[in-house]
Amino acid sequence: MIEITEKDFSLDEMIKRARSKDAGAIVTFLGTVRDDDGIERMEVEAFLEAAQAELEAIEEEARSRFSLRAVEVVHRTGSLAVGESIVAIVCSAGHREAAFSGCRYIIEELKKRAPLWKKEIGDKGERWVGRT
Amino acid sequence: MLVKVLAFAGFREILGKERELSLNESVTVKELLAELAVATPRFKEAAFDESGALRDYVLLMINRKLIDSRQDLSRPLQEGDELAIFPPLAGG
Repeated sequence: MIEITEKDFSLDEMIKRARSKDAGAIVTFLGTVRDDDGIERMEVEAFLEAAQAELEAIEEEARSRFSLRAVEVVHRTGSLAVGESIVAIVCSAGHREAAFSGCRYIIEELKKRAPLWKKEIGDKGERWVGRT
Repeated sequence: MLVKVLAFAGFREILGKERELSLNESVTVKELLAELAVATPRFKEAAFDESGALRDYVLLMINRKLIDSRQDLSRPLQEGDELAIFPPLAGG
C-alpha cells in the first residue's frame, strides 16, 4: 500500500500487513525529523497526485527487480516536529538480501523522483531543503 | 484556451497553489513563464537569473511528466494542459 497522509502511522501495522508465510525477511526504513542546527519542525508538501503515481511506479519496479512479497510506503505531509516520523518503508521478501535491496531502492528512488518538498523551520528562520 | 498552473514549495508561496489561465492563443512554456514573471516580480527574481535565463533549480512538469527545463521551453501548451512549477525534490 502506498499512502501520502497528514496522519501519523503505525509501523507495527505496516509490518503486520507485510507478513506472509512465504516471506522470511521484513526490512523497514523509518525517516524522522532531525534537529539540524536549531531546527524545530518541518513542513512537508506534496504534489499529491504526481507523488502517488511516482511512488506506485517505484513500488512496481522494486517488486519486479527484487521479487518482493509485499511493499508498504507511507509519506507524511504537513507540520512535523523534531523526532516525528516523515516516511516509512516496509519490504518483505523470501530472503534478507532482497528485502534490504528493495527497501534501499525505494527510499533512494523516492528521494530522487517523488515530487515532495521539506521546509525546515527553526530559531534561524526557515528554508526549503534542496534549494540552492 | 485554458491552462492550469500549479506551484509547489517556494514557488507556491509566491504564485499560489493553483491558477487557471485563459489564453487567447497557443503559447509556449517559455512565454507562459515570462507572463507570470511580468505579473509577479517575485517570481521573476526567484525563477530567472540576471540574463533572463531560467534558473537551474526550476523544475517543470506538464501533465505530471517532468520536462527538460532547458530544451522543452519552446513546447506549445495545449488546451487543458497542467503546468507544474517547483524547486528540486526533497522528500524522504
